Amino acid sequence: MPSNTTAIRQITTTVSQDARSSDTAGILAHVPDPQLAEQSLGRLMELSPEMRGGAILDGENVLAASGDAAEWGDAAAALLAATDAVGESAEQVHVATEAGEVFAVRDAGLVALAVTERFVLASLMAFDMRSVLRDLAAGPRVDGAAGGGA
Amino acid sequence: MPKPHRVVLDRVSGYADEAAAFMRRRRHERRPFARVYWGDGRAVEYPADSDAGEVMFAAAGRLIDVAQEREAE
Repeated sequence: MPSNTTAIRQITTTVSQDARSSDTAGILAHVPDPQLAEQSLGRLMELSPEMRGGAILDGENVLAASGDAAEWGDAAAALLAATDAVGESAEQVHVATEAGEVFAVRDAGLVALAVTERFVLASLMAFDMRSVLRDLAAGPRVDGAAGGGA
Repeated sequence: MPKPHRVVLDRVSGYADEAAAFMRRRRHERRPFARVYWGDGRAVEYPADSDAGEVMFAAAGRLIDVAQEREAE
């Protein structure tokens, strides 16, 4: 008569653990953590001292904002809707007014918004925003910080 | 004949003067604009008096207000 332990030995738990370690990170990489998004926004504002404020969105969800998330979300949606109305989904928007400048950059399924002082270097601003989004989309580094680095 | 380092200094300060003059003119002459860039390299500028530009400027103005509210806090 076979003992109970024989049946238990047939369950190979290491298979499921392997699957978890190899697949979960890939799945989670597409869902940025709001805390990481806050860190990324902080890093962007540190890189660009001309920034008055900004936000990072995942679709229409505000992951991080320098002020009231709902207000940033509504204002961002209005700008993105206005730019999308003129054609297919735009990758970058730069609006320069007398009161300041607004940048919106789409990358890796995320959107970064920045409001800056006038006469900032647009190419540098867009580069910083794009690199922050890519780092955020790539997920946390091994040491727990958002990707990239100074 | 000027010393070699004087030549370099003169040249550098000449470039800096030119850059400063360019920035001064840019500040005076630049008009508000709304530029949209697409992934395939296309870019279009929308004047403030166009239909699309008007909506974009309104939305950008709202974002600037939201950022200013945060600064005021």
